Amino acid sequence: MFQNQKPLGLYIHVPFCAHKCAYCDFYSITNEDLIQEYTMAITEHMRRKKRIAKNYLVDSIFFGGGTPSLLPIESFCEIMKTVREVFDISPTAEITLEANPGTLDSKKLAVYRELGINRLSLGLQSADDGELRMLSRIHTRDEFEHSYMLARMEGFTNINIDLIYALPRQTKEKLLDSIDYVISMGPEHISFYGLSIEPNTPFGRNKNIRALLPDEDEQYDMYMAACKTLESAGYLQYEISNFAKKEYGCRHNIKYWTGKEYLSFGPSATSFIDNMEYKYLPDIERYISCVKKESEIREREYMFNHEELETRFVMTFMRLRAGINAEEYKRRFGLDFEKEYSEKIERFIQSGHMVKTAYGYRLTRKGMMISNYILSDILDLLPDELE
Amino acid sequence: MDRQEKIRNFSIIAHIDHGKSTLADRILEKTQSIATRDMEEQILDNMDIERERGITIKARAVKLNYKASDGETYEFNLIDTPGHVDFNYEVSRSLGACEGALLVVDATQGIEAQTLANTYLALEQNLEIIPVVNKIDLPSANIEGVRKEIEDVIGIPAEGCPAVSAKTGLNIEDILEKIVTDIPAPEGDENAPLKCLIFDSYYDSYRGVVIYVRVMDGKLSAGQTIRLMNTGATFETVEVGYMSAFGLMPAKEISAGEVGYITASIKSVADTQVGDTVTDDDNPTAEAFPGFHAAQPMVYAGIYPADGAKYPDLRDALEKLRLNDAALTFEPETSIALGFGFRCGFLGLLHMEIIAERLEREFNLDLVTTAPSVIYKLTMRSGETIYIDNPANYPDPEQIAKAEEPVVKASIIVPTDYVGGIMELCRDRRGDYKNMTYIDSSRVELHYILPLNEIIYDFFDALKSRSKGYASLDYELDGYLESKLVKLEVLLNGEVVDALSFIVHSDKAYSRGRKIVEKLRDNIPRQLFEVPVQAAIGGRVIARETVRAMRKDVLAKCYGGDITRKKKLLEKQKEGKKRMRKLGSVEVPPETFMAVLKLDEE
Repeated sequence: MFQNQKPLGLYIHVPFCAHKCAYCDFYSITNEDLIQEYTMAITEHMRRKKRIAKNYLVDSIFFGGGTPSLLPIESFCEIMKTVREVFDISPTAEITLEANPGTLDSKKLAVYRELGINRLSLGLQSADDGELRMLSRIHTRDEFEHSYMLARMEGFTNINIDLIYALPRQTKEKLLDSIDYVISMGPEHISFYGLSIEPNTPFGRNKNIRALLPDEDEQYDMYMAACKTLESAGYLQYEISNFAKKEYGCRHNIKYWTGKEYLSFGPSATSFIDNMEYKYLPDIERYISCVKKESEIREREYMFNHEELETRFVMTFMRLRAGINAEEYKRRFGLDFEKEYSEKIERFIQSGHMVKTAYGYRLTRKGMMISNYILSDILDLLPDELE
Repeated sequence: MDRQEKIRNFSIIAHIDHGKSTLADRILEKTQSIATRDMEEQILDNMDIERERGITIKARAVKLNYKASDGETYEFNLIDTPGHVDFNYEVSRSLGACEGALLVVDATQGIEAQTLANTYLALEQNLEIIPVVNKIDLPSANIEGVRKEIEDVIGIPAEGCPAVSAKTGLNIEDILEKIVTDIPAPEGDENAPLKCLIFDSYYDSYRGVVIYVRVMDGKLSAGQTIRLMNTGATFETVEVGYMSAFGLMPAKEISAGEVGYITASIKSVADTQVGDTVTDDDNPTAEAFPGFHAAQPMVYAGIYPADGAKYPDLRDALEKLRLNDAALTFEPETSIALGFGFRCGFLGLLHMEIIAERLEREFNLDLVTTAPSVIYKLTMRSGETIYIDNPANYPDPEQIAKAEEPVVKASIIVPTDYVGGIMELCRDRRGDYKNMTYIDSSRVELHYILPLNEIIYDFFDALKSRSKGYASLDYELDGYLESKLVKLEVLLNGEVVDALSFIVHSDKAYSRGRKIVEKLRDNIPRQLFEVPVQAAIGGRVIARETVRAMRKDVLAKCYGGDITRKKKLLEKQKEGKKRMRKLGSVEVPPETFMAVLKLDEE
């Protein structure tokens, strides 16, 4: 290890699912025949990064998907081994794996622990079996509970549970039942997302679905009530959709919101390094063949200029409960945040959507709920930067 | 007078869709003025919008040669007439240039209000009318029934009149022969002082204004100084000639009895208004052609660019359109809500729609148009009389002694089955029933006095929808009548929005106020805070709705690959915001104005 290594996050996309959920638009396939080739390709891809890797010390790794827990143990070991071969991993690194209830067993969990996975993220989404069926999840609440207990027994002390709200026909009462259930399980971290209807999903293709969703005011009430319940149970909101017990915020995800560098592998994954963003082809077969042929795997890449980085900084920092840190802003861009933004922000302070903090500004919870509106208002957005 | 013996000047009178343009095409074809294969369909209507709407907006004329069965070749001048009630005056001038008219009636539809009104105009000017029954190729054609109707309703003989199919070309020769035998030749005095009637004019970027005239007396050649008798303007004639099917054909001179054009380096059609008389400046005729009046707008509306920066473009576009449209008036206007725009005057709602459409289509402008208004006449307590065409200028009601609104004399022809519905509609629109006459056992003509402001929005559409499309309407201005008028104001977040206020009869104020606040509630996007939407008369609120505060506009997930996607989303949102009009603290997209101002759709 070198003294001047920079911190780095690693993201590894595992694009396999037993079954596609009705709402999900992340890239994944249900054909598991390609797992072998995928494993070969992604490990080869990593080995090619050896030269860059030397400059970095990896302090977070995130296996996302898809369903990473679907990978056979041998494949997973192979990938983990390669990661450690290529990158210097901090001994205190946060290493997260997303898992679907129903795909876990004691043996797998034990191997994960052995390989250094120290954080599990379980997709529960709802504690109501009817809602789970509607979302076309492959598990029931009991199956989740079983997986969760197994994980605890195998020694996982940092577990996240994903929940989705604003489901078709969901009421606030039903949502709060799910919230209460999750709190009763006592995870260290809870991700709490509003359902978004994405175009290329069964939900997106269902023309009637929008009529079934809670309306804007109901969604607002759901969010507010849920946030309150979570906070009174000791879960602190640190981002629009994320809550954690003290000290348990997700280090890897926080990198995304604080402009830190991350390197990614796997089809559809996006990296951000040296002010450059690039995205790999969202097509596993092409990803594999490109790695084999040593041809271009990137679907697109873009070098951000100073203004664009500034926009991204404000945009992502504003997602955080802590909000903008004017000092860090000044350090990075040499600008006075107060001078750049206070005039535009004033009306949102008046309306109770933003507040001034000791470090800068942040959105109130009410403001978080309309953050798109606020950001599109205060940011100088340059259109079509990627075209 | 051998020369004039061979001239026949005529128009075609027909209801929309009764086949006027098609018939004109067939006549052109039969007179071999144009080869069929070269013929652009419906050559007389040469504006896109006219063709799309199936109506003729501007009159056009064409000179044709016809070799009749008597072996002689005749010169036909076919003068087309606009077919909409907004352009009544232009129709009367076109007819004034003729000695005869073809009255085209659809063999399956019978006479319509518009046809009737135009036929009366023609009869008033002593034109010889040749009835023509068209569309006899259709299975439901009732030739004898329609002939009888023409005789009963108009009182002109129609027995044995040409029965044709303009579509297939059947019996078109019958019409051409009738034109020769029945329509009188002109009888102008070519040695008398020059006297020409202007029936149309248009602006050409190379020649300046091209004036279409009928020479009544005298003759005119290039170099002669002409005087326009009503405007008093004088010009030196640059060129004279005829309108052929292929375009303008210069000639040495045009003389009594003929139809032709004049160019004289004239810069604006405002100088060459339809109905004016052209004479020789050195040797003027004693009397102008009677009945001239300058084009008089009846409907006013504010036109604003959706993007405030396009104001100069809008001004240029309006100036260009005015070169060609003497009836269009405009002056700069400022609205607190909409910024800089123009108060424009139109002949009627159709005229307004056409102008707005041309501005958007030909000049690529995005517009916001305010509610059309008529001209109200107010007698103030001070004794002064003022005319108001913009609700924003409506004075304090305390100072008004008497308010009057323009009314029209309307004639509606409708099948008896729908009379009930139409009468209800007219009552609803504050119509004053005059009488009803039977055209035949199945159709009646209703006469009403109706306030103009009740028919400028959507009266015609309502009429059509309540009669399955069968009712037809004609109207003419019939002065002013006293009325209980109020100014209805719309307030957003407590502030009056000038562009949304309008003048309305007090009996209608409540329902209009309700409707407008409901429409606004549905069309204003949620704002940062709750926005009350109110309708008020003289500060008294009569209707209120609330636009709720924006509660949710957030992207739930924003991880590595989502950041760029989200930024694009925000860019789009920002673009959308730039189009918003800021009314006080409320942001309103231009579409909201359009939606709200289209008040009366059910």
